[in-house]
Amino acid sequence: MHATALKGMNLERERMPLPADPVRRGPGDEGPKDPGVRRPNTKDLLERMRRVDPEQAKRYRQRSGE
Amino acid sequence: MIRLLGLETEYGITVEGRDAGDLLVESMELVRAYPGPHAKPWDYHPEDPRRDARGYQVRHLTRSPDDDNYRQQDAKAPPVRDQRSDRVLANGARLYNDHGHPEYATPECASVLDLVAHDRAGERILLDCVAERERQTGKRVRLYKNNSDHFGVSYGTHENYLSLREVPFEALLAGLLPFLVTRQIYAGAGKIGVEQDGASTNIFQLSQRADFFTEVASVDTLHRRPIFNTRDEPHADPARFRRLHVICGDANPSEFATALKVGATAMALALVEEGWSPGLEIREPVRTIKDLSRDQTHRWMLETMQGAKTSAVEVQRLYLAEAHRRYQGRDPETDWLLMAWDTVLRDLEEDVFRLVDRLDWVAKLHLLEEFRESESLAWDDPMMLSLDLEYASIDRQEGLYWGLVDAGQMRQVVGSKTVADAAADPPKDTRAALRGLCVRRFPESIASVCWSRLWLRNGDGEHLLDLSPLAEGVPPRLLEEVSRARSVSDLLQQVQQGARRAETPVAEASGMEE
Repeated sequence: MHATALKGMNLERERMPLPADPVRRGPGDEGPKDPGVRRPNTKDLLERMRRVDPEQAKRYRQRSGE
Repeated sequence: MIRLLGLETEYGITVEGRDAGDLLVESMELVRAYPGPHAKPWDYHPEDPRRDARGYQVRHLTRSPDDDNYRQQDAKAPPVRDQRSDRVLANGARLYNDHGHPEYATPECASVLDLVAHDRAGERILLDCVAERERQTGKRVRLYKNNSDHFGVSYGTHENYLSLREVPFEALLAGLLPFLVTRQIYAGAGKIGVEQDGASTNIFQLSQRADFFTEVASVDTLHRRPIFNTRDEPHADPARFRRLHVICGDANPSEFATALKVGATAMALALVEEGWSPGLEIREPVRTIKDLSRDQTHRWMLETMQGAKTSAVEVQRLYLAEAHRRYQGRDPETDWLLMAWDTVLRDLEEDVFRLVDRLDWVAKLHLLEEFRESESLAWDDPMMLSLDLEYASIDRQEGLYWGLVDAGQMRQVVGSKTVADAAADPPKDTRAALRGLCVRRFPESIASVCWSRLWLRNGDGEHLLDLSPLAEGVPPRLLEEVSRARSVSDLLQQVQQGARRAETPVAEASGMEE
Protein backbone atom coordinates (compact mmCIF):
# COMPACT_ATOMS: atom_id res chain seq x y z
CA MET A 1 0.00 0.00 0.00
CA HIS A 2 1.20 3.48 -0.88
CA ALA A 3 4.50 2.08 -2.12
CA THR A 4 4.40 3.69 -5.54
CA ALA A 5 7.34 5.90 -6.33
CA LEU A 6 6.45 9.56 -5.96
CA LYS A 7 7.08 10.84 -9.44
CA GLY A 8 7.10 14.56 -9.79
CA MET A 9 7.68 15.22 -6.10
CA ASN A 10 8.84 18.78 -6.44
CA LEU A 11 9.91 20.09 -3.10
CA GLU A 12 12.27 22.63 -4.58
CA ARG A 13 10.50 25.80 -5.56
CA GLU A 14 11.70 29.09 -6.78
CA ARG A 15 12.96 30.99 -3.80
CA MET A 16 12.68 34.69 -3.24
CA PRO A 17 15.39 36.50 -1.32
CA LEU A 18 14.85 35.78 2.34
CA PRO A 19 15.29 38.07 5.30
CA ALA A 20 18.84 38.21 6.56
CA ASP A 21 19.96 35.37 8.79
CA PRO A 22 18.85 36.07 12.40
CA VAL A 23 20.82 33.23 13.93
CA ARG A 24 23.07 33.93 16.85
CA ARG A 25 25.94 31.51 16.80
CA GLY A 26 27.88 30.50 19.84
CA PRO A 27 31.22 28.69 19.83
CA GLY A 28 30.78 25.28 18.22
CA ASP A 29 27.31 26.07 16.94
CA GLU A 30 26.80 24.68 13.49
CA GLY A 31 24.26 27.42 12.76
CA PRO A 32 21.21 27.31 10.56
CA LYS A 33 20.55 24.82 7.84
CA ASP A 34 19.97 26.93 4.78
CA PRO A 35 17.73 25.04 2.34
CA GLY A 36 19.86 26.23 -0.55
CA VAL A 37 23.18 25.01 0.83
CA ARG A 38 22.97 21.30 0.13
CA ARG A 39 21.09 19.13 -2.28
CA PRO A 40 17.77 18.11 -0.76
CA ASN A 41 17.48 14.41 -0.04
CA THR A 42 13.83 13.88 -0.89
CA LYS A 43 14.32 10.13 -1.36
CA ASP A 44 14.71 9.70 2.38
CA LEU A 45 11.64 11.84 2.95
CA LEU A 46 9.54 9.69 0.63
CA GLU A 47 10.73 6.56 2.39
CA ARG A 48 9.78 8.15 5.67
CA MET A 49 6.28 8.92 4.36
CA ARG A 50 5.81 5.40 3.08
CA ARG A 51 6.70 3.99 6.48
CA VAL A 52 3.84 5.89 8.15
CA ASP A 53 1.14 3.54 9.45
CA PRO A 54 -1.99 4.43 7.41
CA GLU A 55 -4.19 3.52 10.36
CA GLN A 56 -2.40 5.54 13.04
CA ALA A 57 -4.71 8.55 12.81
CA LYS A 58 -7.74 6.32 13.42
CA ARG A 59 -6.25 5.22 16.72
CA TYR A 60 -5.05 8.69 17.75
CA ARG A 61 -7.44 9.79 20.49
CA GLN A 62 -6.51 12.44 23.02
CA ARG A 63 -7.89 13.95 26.20
CA SER A 64 -9.31 17.41 25.86
CA GLY A 65 -6.79 19.98 27.07
CA GLU A 66 -6.61 23.72 27.37
CA MET B 1 11.04 47.62 29.92
CA ILE B 2 11.99 44.26 28.54
CA ARG B 3 9.07 42.18 27.36
CA LEU B 4 8.98 38.78 29.05
CA LEU B 5 7.87 36.11 26.58
CA GLY B 6 6.88 32.50 27.16
CA LEU B 7 5.41 29.53 25.32
CA GLU B 8 3.47 26.62 26.78
CA THR B 9 2.94 23.51 24.66
CA GLU B 10 0.68 20.61 25.53
CA TYR B 11 1.94 17.66 23.51
CA GLY B 12 -0.23 14.93 22.02
CA ILE B 13 0.82 11.52 23.34
CA THR B 14 0.35 7.88 22.39
CA VAL B 15 1.57 4.89 24.37
CA GLU B 16 1.66 1.41 22.94
CA GLY B 17 -1.26 -0.65 24.23
CA ARG B 18 -2.95 2.30 25.97
CA ASP B 19 -6.02 4.33 25.05
CA ALA B 20 -7.10 7.91 25.76
CA GLY B 21 -8.52 6.94 29.15
CA ASP B 22 -5.03 5.93 30.28
CA LEU B 23 -3.36 9.17 29.26
CA LEU B 24 -3.77 10.99 32.58
CA VAL B 25 -1.54 8.41 34.20
CA GLU B 26 0.74 7.81 31.21
CA SER B 27 1.44 11.52 30.83
CA MET B 28 2.13 11.76 34.57
CA GLU B 29 4.59 8.88 34.42
CA LEU B 30 6.31 10.39 31.39
CA VAL B 31 6.91 13.67 33.23
CA ARG B 32 8.17 11.78 36.28
CA ALA B 33 10.66 9.96 34.06
CA TYR B 34 12.54 13.22 33.41
CA PRO B 35 16.14 12.25 34.17
CA GLY B 36 17.70 15.71 34.61
CA PRO B 37 18.09 18.01 37.61
CA HIS B 38 14.83 19.49 38.84
CA ALA B 39 12.97 20.87 41.85
CA LYS B 40 9.44 20.48 43.22
CA PRO B 41 6.75 21.01 44.34
CA TRP B 42 5.05 23.78 42.36
CA ASP B 43 3.70 26.60 44.52
CA TYR B 44 0.05 27.01 43.49
CA HIS B 45 -0.80 29.58 46.15
CA PRO B 46 -0.31 32.76 44.06
CA GLU B 47 -2.38 31.38 41.16
CA ASP B 48 -6.08 31.61 40.43
CA PRO B 49 -7.13 30.98 36.82
CA ARG B 50 -10.69 32.12 37.66
CA ARG B 51 -9.68 35.79 37.91
CA ASP B 52 -10.97 37.67 34.89
CA ALA B 53 -9.17 40.71 33.47
CA ARG B 54 -12.55 42.43 33.17
CA GLY B 55 -12.51 42.88 36.93
CA TYR B 56 -14.30 39.91 38.45
CA GLN B 57 -13.80 36.28 39.37
CA VAL B 58 -15.89 33.43 38.01
CA ARG B 59 -17.12 30.73 40.39
CA HIS B 60 -15.73 27.92 38.30
CA LEU B 61 -14.21 27.30 34.90
CA THR B 62 -16.21 25.43 32.29
CA ARG B 63 -15.25 21.74 32.07
CA SER B 64 -15.02 19.84 28.83
CA PRO B 65 -17.96 17.43 28.35
CA ASP B 66 -15.39 15.09 26.81
CA ASP B 67 -14.16 14.35 30.34
CA ASP B 68 -17.45 12.57 31.10
CA ASN B 69 -16.35 9.80 28.75
CA TYR B 70 -13.49 8.92 31.09
CA ARG B 71 -15.16 9.33 34.48
CA GLN B 72 -14.53 5.74 35.59
CA GLN B 73 -10.85 5.71 34.61
CA ASP B 74 -10.26 9.19 36.06
CA ALA B 75 -11.71 8.08 39.40
CA LYS B 76 -8.84 5.59 39.73
CA ALA B 77 -6.14 8.19 38.94
CA PRO B 78 -4.08 9.83 41.71
CA PRO B 79 -5.19 13.21 43.17
CA VAL B 80 -4.79 16.17 40.79
CA ARG B 81 -1.61 17.56 42.42
CA ASP B 82 0.04 14.14 42.13
CA GLN B 83 -1.15 13.78 38.56
CA ARG B 84 0.42 17.08 37.62
CA SER B 85 3.83 16.07 38.92
CA ASP B 86 5.31 19.52 38.36
CA ARG B 87 9.04 19.72 37.79
CA VAL B 88 10.98 22.96 37.57
CA LEU B 89 14.09 22.41 35.52
CA ALA B 90 17.60 23.83 35.70
CA ASN B 91 16.89 25.96 32.61
CA GLY B 92 14.05 27.66 34.50
CA ALA B 93 11.28 25.85 32.60
CA ARG B 94 8.25 24.05 34.02
CA LEU B 95 7.42 20.49 32.98
CA TYR B 96 4.15 18.89 34.08
CA ASN B 97 1.16 16.83 33.14
CA ASP B 98 -1.75 19.00 32.08
CA HIS B 99 -4.86 16.88 31.86
CA GLY B 100 -3.32 13.96 30.01
CA HIS B 101 -0.76 15.96 28.03
CA PRO B 102 2.90 16.44 28.93
CA GLU B 103 3.31 20.19 28.94
CA TYR B 104 6.55 22.13 28.59
CA ALA B 105 6.41 25.80 29.57
CA THR B 106 9.54 27.67 28.55
CA PRO B 107 11.37 29.88 31.01
CA GLU B 108 10.71 33.59 30.61
CA CYS B 109 12.71 34.93 27.67
CA ALA B 110 13.48 38.52 26.72
CA SER B 111 14.06 37.88 23.02
CA VAL B 112 12.15 36.02 20.33
CA LEU B 113 15.17 33.97 19.27
CA ASP B 114 15.82 32.90 22.85
CA LEU B 115 12.20 31.82 23.04
CA VAL B 116 12.45 29.77 19.84
CA ALA B 117 15.55 28.05 21.24
CA HIS B 118 13.80 27.26 24.52
CA ASP B 119 10.69 26.02 22.74
CA ARG B 120 12.86 23.68 20.71
CA ALA B 121 14.74 22.70 23.89
CA GLY B 122 11.41 21.52 25.29
CA GLU B 123 11.23 18.92 22.53
CA ARG B 124 14.68 17.61 23.45
CA ILE B 125 13.75 17.43 27.11
CA LEU B 126 10.57 15.53 26.34
CA LEU B 127 12.47 13.13 24.11
CA ASP B 128 14.73 12.44 27.11
CA CYS B 129 11.58 11.60 29.08
CA VAL B 130 10.38 9.32 26.27
CA ALA B 131 13.69 7.44 26.18
CA GLU B 132 13.64 6.91 29.94
CA ARG B 133 9.98 5.88 30.03
CA GLU B 134 10.47 3.41 27.17
CA ARG B 135 13.44 1.97 29.02
CA GLN B 136 11.28 1.54 32.14
CA THR B 137 8.29 -0.06 30.43
CA GLY B 138 9.44 -1.45 27.08
CA LYS B 139 6.41 0.25 25.50
CA ARG B 140 6.70 2.69 22.62
CA VAL B 141 5.79 6.32 23.42
CA ARG B 142 5.22 8.96 20.75
CA LEU B 143 4.76 12.71 21.20
CA TYR B 144 3.19 15.16 18.77
CA LYS B 145 3.52 18.94 18.61
CA ASN B 146 -0.04 19.59 17.42
CA ASN B 147 -3.39 20.74 18.77
CA SER B 148 -6.09 18.28 17.78
CA ASP B 149 -6.78 14.57 17.39
CA HIS B 150 -9.02 15.00 14.31
CA PHE B 151 -11.95 13.69 16.37
CA GLY B 152 -13.05 17.01 17.85
CA VAL B 153 -10.65 17.10 20.80
CA SER B 154 -8.20 19.97 21.16
CA TYR B 155 -5.31 20.87 23.46
CA GLY B 156 -3.39 24.09 23.61
CA THR B 157 -0.26 25.95 22.75
CA HIS B 158 -0.34 29.20 24.68
CA GLU B 159 1.79 32.31 24.35
CA ASN B 160 2.54 34.71 27.18
CA TYR B 161 3.50 38.36 26.89
CA LEU B 162 4.15 40.59 29.90
CA SER B 163 1.99 43.64 29.41
CA LEU B 164 1.28 46.93 31.16
CA ARG B 165 -1.64 47.04 33.59
CA GLU B 166 -2.27 50.70 32.80
CA VAL B 167 -3.58 49.83 29.33
CA PRO B 168 -7.36 49.39 29.63
CA PHE B 169 -8.62 45.88 28.89
CA GLU B 170 -11.06 47.23 26.30
CA ALA B 171 -8.18 48.83 24.38
CA LEU B 172 -6.23 45.57 24.39
CA LEU B 173 -9.20 43.60 23.12
CA ALA B 174 -10.16 46.09 20.42
CA GLY B 175 -6.56 46.64 19.34
CA LEU B 176 -5.50 43.01 19.18
CA LEU B 177 -8.60 41.12 18.06
CA PRO B 178 -8.21 41.88 14.31
CA PHE B 179 -4.56 40.85 14.59
CA LEU B 180 -5.31 37.57 16.37
CA VAL B 181 -8.10 36.61 13.96
CA THR B 182 -5.90 37.14 10.91
CA ARG B 183 -2.38 36.06 11.93
CA GLN B 184 -3.21 32.40 11.19
CA ILE B 185 -2.34 33.10 7.53
CA TYR B 186 1.31 32.69 8.60
CA ALA B 187 1.02 31.15 12.08
CA GLY B 188 -1.32 28.26 11.25
CA ALA B 189 0.10 24.74 11.40
CA GLY B 190 -2.40 23.36 8.86
CA LYS B 191 -4.91 20.54 9.23
CA ILE B 192 -6.94 18.20 7.09
CA GLY B 193 -10.64 18.47 7.76
CA VAL B 194 -13.10 20.35 9.94
CA GLU B 195 -13.87 19.11 13.45
CA GLN B 196 -16.88 21.25 14.35
CA ASP B 197 -19.87 22.74 12.54
CA GLY B 198 -20.46 19.58 10.47
CA ALA B 199 -17.28 17.54 10.47
CA SER B 200 -15.58 16.91 7.15
CA THR B 201 -12.23 15.63 5.96
CA ASN B 202 -12.38 17.07 2.47
CA ILE B 203 -10.54 20.32 2.94
CA PHE B 204 -7.16 21.46 4.18
CA GLN B 205 -7.40 24.44 6.53
CA LEU B 206 -4.80 26.85 7.85
CA SER B 207 -5.31 26.40 11.56
CA GLN B 208 -5.43 23.44 13.91
CA ARG B 209 -7.31 25.46 16.52
CA ALA B 210 -9.78 27.71 14.65
CA ASP B 211 -12.53 25.06 14.78
CA PHE B 212 -12.58 25.20 18.56
CA PHE B 213 -13.36 28.84 19.31
CA THR B 214 -16.92 29.74 20.20
CA GLU B 215 -16.47 33.02 22.12
CA VAL B 216 -14.79 36.33 21.42
CA ALA B 217 -13.49 36.82 24.97
CA SER B 218 -13.70 34.73 28.13
CA VAL B 219 -11.67 33.35 31.01
CA ASP B 220 -12.26 29.72 29.97
CA THR B 221 -9.69 27.54 28.23
CA LEU B 222 -11.05 23.98 28.51
CA HIS B 223 -14.42 24.40 26.80
CA ARG B 224 -16.27 27.25 25.07
CA ARG B 225 -12.82 28.57 24.24
CA PRO B 226 -12.39 32.26 23.37
CA ILE B 227 -10.23 33.94 20.75
CA PHE B 228 -9.13 36.41 23.45
CA ASN B 229 -8.48 34.81 26.82
CA THR B 230 -9.21 37.08 29.77
CA ARG B 231 -7.38 35.12 32.49
CA ASP B 232 -5.78 37.61 34.86
CA GLU B 233 -2.68 35.95 36.29
CA PRO B 234 0.28 38.27 35.73
CA HIS B 235 2.86 36.17 37.63
CA ALA B 236 4.38 39.58 38.43
CA ASP B 237 3.35 42.70 40.35
CA PRO B 238 -0.40 42.87 39.59
CA ALA B 239 -0.48 46.61 40.16
CA ARG B 240 1.90 47.16 37.24
CA PHE B 241 1.48 44.21 34.93
CA ARG B 242 -0.88 42.00 33.05
CA ARG B 243 0.04 38.82 31.24
CA LEU B 244 -1.45 38.60 27.77
CA HIS B 245 -2.33 34.89 27.59
CA VAL B 246 -2.90 34.03 23.94
CA ILE B 247 -4.64 30.68 23.51
CA CYS B 248 -5.78 30.91 19.88
CA GLY B 249 -2.46 29.92 18.32
CA ASP B 250 -1.23 26.62 16.91
CA ALA B 251 1.81 24.59 17.90
CA ASN B 252 4.41 25.33 15.24
CA PRO B 253 7.11 22.78 14.45
CA SER B 254 8.60 25.47 12.16
CA GLU B 255 11.05 27.70 13.98
CA PHE B 256 10.47 30.49 11.49
CA ALA B 257 6.69 30.38 12.06
CA THR B 258 7.18 30.39 15.83
CA ALA B 259 9.51 33.38 15.62
CA LEU B 260 7.20 35.37 13.34
CA LYS B 261 4.08 34.48 15.35
CA VAL B 262 5.58 35.64 18.63
CA GLY B 263 7.58 38.54 17.23
CA ALA B 264 4.65 40.05 15.33
CA THR B 265 2.30 39.57 18.29
CA ALA B 266 4.75 41.27 20.66
CA MET B 267 4.98 44.22 18.27
CA ALA B 268 1.18 44.41 17.85
CA LEU B 269 0.88 44.44 21.65
CA ALA B 270 3.47 47.21 21.93
CA LEU B 271 1.55 49.32 19.42
CA VAL B 272 -1.66 48.97 21.42
CA GLU B 273 0.17 49.73 24.67
CA GLU B 274 1.40 52.95 23.06
CA GLY B 275 -2.17 53.94 22.29
CA TRP B 276 -2.30 52.98 18.62
CA SER B 277 -5.44 51.41 17.20
CA PRO B 278 -5.88 49.57 13.87
CA GLY B 279 -9.06 51.57 13.24
CA LEU B 280 -11.14 48.62 12.19
CA GLU B 281 -13.37 46.06 13.82
CA ILE B 282 -14.01 42.67 12.27
CA ARG B 283 -17.64 41.64 11.86
CA GLU B 284 -18.38 38.33 13.59
CA PRO B 285 -14.83 37.47 14.65
CA VAL B 286 -15.70 33.90 15.76
CA ARG B 287 -17.18 33.07 12.38
CA THR B 288 -14.40 34.94 10.58
CA ILE B 289 -11.53 33.07 12.29
CA LYS B 290 -13.07 29.81 11.05
CA ASP B 291 -13.91 31.14 7.58
CA LEU B 292 -10.36 32.40 7.05
CA SER B 293 -8.91 29.09 8.18
CA ARG B 294 -11.13 27.14 5.78
CA ASP B 295 -10.87 29.49 2.78
CA GLN B 296 -9.69 27.32 -0.10
CA THR B 297 -9.16 30.33 -2.39
CA HIS B 298 -6.38 31.69 -0.18
CA ARG B 299 -7.70 35.20 -0.71
CA TRP B 300 -8.81 35.40 2.95
CA MET B 301 -11.41 38.13 2.52
CA LEU B 302 -13.33 39.41 5.53
CA GLU B 303 -15.88 42.06 6.39
CA THR B 304 -15.45 44.91 8.84
CA MET B 305 -18.14 46.31 11.14
CA GLN B 306 -18.12 49.37 8.91
CA GLY B 307 -19.27 47.14 6.03
CA ALA B 308 -16.02 47.26 4.08
CA LYS B 309 -14.40 44.19 2.52
CA THR B 310 -10.72 43.68 3.10
CA SER B 311 -8.30 40.78 3.35
CA ALA B 312 -6.43 39.17 6.24
CA VAL B 313 -3.20 40.20 4.51
CA GLU B 314 -4.31 43.84 4.46
CA VAL B 315 -5.26 43.72 8.13
CA GLN B 316 -1.80 42.36 8.93
CA ARG B 317 -0.26 45.10 6.78
CA LEU B 318 -1.93 47.75 8.96
CA TYR B 319 -0.05 46.44 11.98
CA LEU B 320 3.18 45.87 10.06
CA ALA B 321 3.22 49.38 8.59
CA GLU B 322 2.86 51.02 11.99
CA ALA B 323 5.36 48.65 13.62
CA HIS B 324 7.81 49.36 10.82
CA ARG B 325 7.39 53.11 11.31
CA ARG B 326 7.95 52.93 15.07
CA TYR B 327 10.35 50.06 15.63
CA GLN B 328 12.67 49.74 12.64
CA GLY B 329 16.26 50.17 13.76
CA ARG B 330 15.50 49.33 17.39
CA ASP B 331 17.71 46.22 17.33
CA PRO B 332 18.78 43.52 14.82
CA GLU B 333 16.13 41.04 15.94
CA THR B 334 13.32 43.56 15.43
CA ASP B 335 14.67 44.47 12.00
CA TRP B 336 14.79 40.80 11.04
CA LEU B 337 11.22 40.24 12.26
CA LEU B 338 9.92 43.27 10.37
CA MET B 339 11.58 42.07 7.19
CA ALA B 340 10.35 38.50 7.69
CA TRP B 341 6.78 39.75 8.32
CA ASP B 342 6.85 41.90 5.18
CA THR B 343 8.31 39.14 2.99
CA VAL B 344 5.75 36.63 4.21
CA LEU B 345 2.77 38.91 3.54
CA ARG B 346 4.06 39.63 0.05
CA ASP B 347 4.56 35.94 -0.67
CA LEU B 348 1.11 35.07 0.69
CA GLU B 349 -0.39 37.43 -1.87
CA GLU B 350 1.81 36.48 -4.83
CA ASP B 351 2.50 32.73 -4.43
CA VAL B 352 1.96 30.95 -1.13
CA PHE B 353 4.24 28.08 -2.15
CA ARG B 354 7.25 30.35 -1.96
CA LEU B 355 6.73 29.91 1.78
CA VAL B 356 7.09 26.13 1.65
CA ASP B 357 10.36 26.30 3.61
CA ARG B 358 9.06 28.61 6.34
CA LEU B 359 5.39 28.17 7.22
CA ASP B 360 3.98 24.96 8.62
CA TRP B 361 0.65 25.03 6.81
CA VAL B 362 2.32 25.58 3.44
CA ALA B 363 4.99 22.92 4.01
CA LYS B 364 2.39 20.39 5.15
CA LEU B 365 -0.05 21.20 2.33
CA HIS B 366 2.66 20.83 -0.27
CA LEU B 367 3.91 17.57 1.16
CA LEU B 368 0.43 16.08 1.43
CA GLU B 369 -0.69 17.33 -1.99
CA GLU B 370 2.32 15.84 -3.75
CA PHE B 371 1.80 12.52 -2.00
CA ARG B 372 -1.95 12.54 -2.65
CA GLU B 373 -1.56 13.24 -6.33
CA SER B 374 1.16 10.66 -6.76
CA GLU B 375 -0.80 7.97 -4.97
CA SER B 376 -4.22 9.03 -6.34
CA LEU B 377 -5.62 9.34 -2.85
CA ALA B 378 -8.64 11.32 -1.71
CA TRP B 379 -8.18 13.89 1.04
CA ASP B 380 -10.29 11.70 3.32
CA ASP B 381 -8.10 8.63 2.82
CA PRO B 382 -6.93 7.42 6.26
CA MET B 383 -3.32 7.65 5.04
CA MET B 384 -3.69 11.42 4.56
CA LEU B 385 -4.78 11.96 8.15
CA SER B 386 -1.94 9.74 9.32
CA LEU B 387 0.57 11.83 7.36
CA ASP B 388 -0.97 15.00 8.81
CA LEU B 389 -0.38 13.54 12.29
CA GLU B 390 3.13 12.41 11.45
CA TYR B 391 4.13 15.93 10.40
CA ALA B 392 3.85 16.85 14.09
CA SER B 393 5.82 13.92 15.53
CA ILE B 394 8.85 15.20 17.42
CA ASP B 395 10.74 11.98 16.75
CA ARG B 396 13.71 13.06 14.66
CA GLN B 397 13.79 9.77 12.71
CA GLU B 398 10.04 9.56 12.01
CA GLY B 399 8.47 13.00 12.06
CA LEU B 400 7.76 14.47 8.63
CA TYR B 401 8.68 17.99 9.72
CA TRP B 402 12.06 16.61 10.71
CA GLY B 403 12.21 14.79 7.38
CA LEU B 404 11.87 18.16 5.68
CA VAL B 405 14.59 19.60 7.91
CA ASP B 406 16.92 16.69 7.13
CA ALA B 407 16.19 17.16 3.43
CA GLY B 408 17.23 20.80 3.74
CA GLN B 409 13.69 21.96 3.07
CA MET B 410 12.84 23.93 6.20
CA ARG B 411 14.50 27.15 7.23
CA GLN B 412 15.73 27.08 10.82
CA VAL B 413 16.48 30.18 12.84
CA VAL B 414 18.43 28.85 15.82
CA GLY B 415 21.40 26.51 15.70
CA SER B 416 21.52 23.09 17.33
CA LYS B 417 24.20 24.14 19.85
CA THR B 418 21.97 27.03 20.95
CA VAL B 419 19.09 24.61 21.46
CA ALA B 420 21.28 22.20 23.44
CA ASP B 421 22.42 25.08 25.65
CA ALA B 422 18.80 26.15 26.19
CA ALA B 423 17.91 22.63 27.36
CA ALA B 424 20.50 22.99 30.13
CA ASP B 425 20.67 26.69 31.01
CA PRO B 426 18.16 29.50 31.56
CA PRO B 427 18.18 32.81 29.66
CA LYS B 428 20.75 35.03 31.36
CA ASP B 429 18.74 38.24 31.21
CA THR B 430 15.46 37.30 32.91
CA ARG B 431 14.39 36.18 36.37
CA ALA B 432 14.47 32.59 35.06
CA ALA B 433 18.24 32.82 35.54
CA LEU B 434 17.80 32.98 39.33
CA ARG B 435 15.22 30.20 39.35
CA GLY B 436 17.42 27.96 37.22
CA LEU B 437 20.46 28.69 39.35
CA CYS B 438 18.61 27.64 42.51
CA VAL B 439 17.41 24.43 40.85
CA ARG B 440 20.90 23.52 39.66
CA ARG B 441 22.79 24.46 42.83
CA PHE B 442 20.36 23.93 45.70
CA PRO B 443 17.50 21.62 44.60
CA GLU B 444 17.19 20.02 48.03
CA SER B 445 16.75 23.44 49.65
CA ILE B 446 13.76 24.44 47.53
CA ALA B 447 10.59 24.13 49.59
CA SER B 448 8.39 25.24 46.68
CA VAL B 449 8.73 27.19 43.46
CA CYS B 450 6.59 28.94 40.86
CA TRP B 451 7.03 31.68 38.25
CA SER B 452 7.08 34.59 40.68
CA ARG B 453 8.85 33.21 43.77
CA LEU B 454 10.78 30.47 45.56
CA TRP B 455 10.70 29.41 49.15
CA LEU B 456 14.21 28.34 50.20
CA ARG B 457 15.20 26.41 53.31
CA ASN B 458 18.31 26.95 55.32
CA GLY B 459 19.20 26.19 58.93
CA ASP B 460 16.88 28.80 60.40
CA GLY B 461 13.67 28.26 58.44
CA GLU B 462 12.16 29.05 55.09
CA HIS B 463 12.85 32.26 53.23
CA LEU B 464 11.02 33.95 50.39
CA LEU B 465 12.90 34.76 47.23
CA ASP B 466 10.43 37.00 45.43
CA LEU B 467 11.12 37.13 41.70
CA SER B 468 8.28 39.56 40.93
CA PRO B 469 10.45 42.68 41.19
CA LEU B 470 12.77 41.15 38.59
CA ALA B 471 10.09 40.95 35.91
CA GLU B 472 11.85 43.75 34.06
CA GLY B 473 15.26 42.08 34.10
CA VAL B 474 18.05 40.81 36.35
CA PRO B 475 21.03 43.13 36.91
CA PRO B 476 24.11 41.30 35.49
CA ARG B 477 26.12 42.14 38.61
CA LEU B 478 23.49 40.52 40.85
CA LEU B 479 23.51 37.36 38.79
CA GLU B 480 27.30 37.22 38.80
CA GLU B 481 27.43 37.56 42.59
CA VAL B 482 24.64 35.10 43.23
CA SER B 483 26.22 32.51 40.95
CA ARG B 484 29.21 32.43 43.35
CA ALA B 485 27.04 31.65 46.39
CA ARG B 486 28.17 28.56 48.28
CA SER B 487 25.00 28.06 50.30
CA VAL B 488 21.38 29.13 50.40
CA SER B 489 22.21 31.59 53.20
CA ASP B 490 25.00 33.00 51.08
CA LEU B 491 22.66 33.29 48.09
CA LEU B 492 19.97 35.06 50.10
CA GLN B 493 22.53 37.46 51.51
CA GLN B 494 23.83 38.25 48.02
CA VAL B 495 20.32 38.85 46.75
CA GLN B 496 19.49 41.13 49.68
CA GLN B 497 22.64 43.16 49.08
CA GLY B 498 21.89 43.38 45.38
CA ALA B 499 18.31 44.38 46.11
CA ARG B 500 19.45 47.14 48.48
CA ARG B 501 21.69 48.50 45.75
CA ALA B 502 18.80 48.50 43.32
CA GLU B 503 16.21 49.36 45.97
CA THR B 504 14.34 46.26 44.86
CA PRO B 505 13.04 44.03 47.67
CA VAL B 506 13.37 40.45 46.41
CA ALA B 507 14.51 38.47 49.46
CA GLU B 508 13.24 38.50 52.98
CA ALA B 509 13.27 36.16 55.95
CA SER B 510 9.80 34.97 56.73
CA GLY B 511 7.83 32.05 58.02
CA MET B 512 6.06 30.20 55.24
CA GLU B 513 2.46 30.77 56.17
CA GLU B 514 0.57 30.06 52.94
